[in-house]
Amino acid sequence: MALLEIRGLIKRFIGVTAVDRVDLAVERGELVSLIGPNGSGKTTLFNCVTGYVAADGGQVLFRGRDLTNAPCHRVARLGIARTFQQVSVFPRLSALDNLLVFLQQHQEERLLARLLRTRRLRRLEADAIERARGLLELVGLAHRADAAAGALSYGQRKLLAFASTLMSDPELLLLDEPAAAVNPTMINQMKQHILALHRQGKTVLLVEHNMEVVMDISQRIVVLDHGQKIAEGPPEAIRRDARVVEAYFGR
Amino acid sequence: MRRAGWLALGLVVATAPWIVAAVVPRQQRYVLHVLIFTALFAALALSYDLVVGHVGSLSLAHPAFFGVGAYTAAILATGARWPFVADVLAAALGAALVAALVGVPLFRLAEHAFAVGTLGLALVASVVANNWVEVTRGPLCITGIPKPTLAGLAITTLPAYYWLALAALAGVALLYRGLTTFRLGRAFHAVRDNEPLAGAAAINPLKYRLLAFTIAAALAGGIGALYVHYLSVMCPEEMTVALTVNLLVIVFLGGVGSLRGVIVGAVLFTALPEVLRLAPTWRLVIYGILLLLVVVRSPEGIESLLRRATASRSAG
Repeated sequence: MALLEIRGLIKRFIGVTAVDRVDLAVERGELVSLIGPNGSGKTTLFNCVTGYVAADGGQVLFRGRDLTNAPCHRVARLGIARTFQQVSVFPRLSALDNLLVFLQQHQEERLLARLLRTRRLRRLEADAIERARGLLELVGLAHRADAAAGALSYGQRKLLAFASTLMSDPELLLLDEPAAAVNPTMINQMKQHILALHRQGKTVLLVEHNMEVVMDISQRIVVLDHGQKIAEGPPEAIRRDARVVEAYFGR
Repeated sequence: MRRAGWLALGLVVATAPWIVAAVVPRQQRYVLHVLIFTALFAALALSYDLVVGHVGSLSLAHPAFFGVGAYTAAILATGARWPFVADVLAAALGAALVAALVGVPLFRLAEHAFAVGTLGLALVASVVANNWVEVTRGPLCITGIPKPTLAGLAITTLPAYYWLALAALAGVALLYRGLTTFRLGRAFHAVRDNEPLAGAAAINPLKYRLLAFTIAAALAGGIGALYVHYLSVMCPEEMTVALTVNLLVIVFLGGVGSLRGVIVGAVLFTALPEVLRLAPTWRLVIYGILLLLVVVRSPEGIESLLRRATASRSAG
């Protein structure tokens, strides 16, 4: 059974079918990239899977469970983490608190316990802080832990957003253009981070325009054009696929 | 040094009735009255800030919850002769219930529509208070609300009431701190700062907004009850939109989302207009200029001025 299975997904906006009967299965531990020209429906597909827009048809299954049109907070709780194309952080919270927000909802706590700050909760908090500091270290932001996220540079915010998705130790990561609009050093850094996740056995679905990155790290590539899946296969095959070349460069 | 400063301030606040009696014996009643109002307004403004400052929803419905609490207490204390503590609890519960009921549909509205919707609620509540004469006695007001009795102790004097109001303020401030820091506070702030991202962090925004809204309403209702027990009369004018304006001024000029800022705002904008009555002709002018100064010099409120002042002092 695939970890994530999308069956015949349809999303229509006024006059446009943004996602048109797409089938896509991602196996546990796989690193899959979703590519396609601008407006081909990649981000809309992400948004449908993670509960940000309601699909008009089709099904989304995660670990065999029907998740179609579940609210985004439920999707997140079940173990699907995502990043956003427009870098998204909590600007007024510190970098450290940004990470902590992503863990606490996964830990069972009662309102009264939170108000009274029981010993158990204090221990959970201490563990969470340790984990958050470790992740800040990983992405090279340890020295900015107490800075407001809104005061970080674009690249730093991007790294922070990426680290956030790791906080709750999700099974599946949906990364929306992690290498876009950052410098070559950071592109390489991102690539290493994603590969490291893959080695740890995480399942990654990646939307990315940087072909070098995509071809370099993906095990399998899925190509969308005008909302439809036009090709699917290993990088070498995709590189030679006539329909893909046509979709990207025209006839 | 800082600790000593806070201690001194606490001591002054706690012993204010005696200080007032010693310093301005002839105006003792008046000054105490202003202090009681200030404490109650500070508590009310803190409850309001839970919604406006911490989950970032511009609710204009606070007078409705204050009014529901005030009328609940007034009716129970005069008609059914409920004991003080019971009617205050009933007032808080009643207001919370109304908030939970209207909150679900209201929070489905987008930002501006939410503000308008809550304004509508405040207006409806005010109309009901004026016109449901069988229950609220309308413009005739509910009178003869008894002075409270707490644990067999009748709170009849102004100093006693001052301490009661101060205790209420302290209670609200403690709850405010508990709710707005640590994990719960982080979830509130996540919803306020970036709702879509909060969703990705497994936070249900509606749940946290509703929680803050309902707790704030309960506190407003309880404070409304204390307020009518103090005044011994409840009229519809106490819950008009003017109250919202007052709260907005206190919270936004004091410092949105800040305990210290809101309390400073409440002190300035409740006590100051009273003090400035010494120069009645100039009062509005001075008040206006002060408002203007704060808005121009420090849009984040007085709190940011205080923060900068303490920061430069510790740096220098």
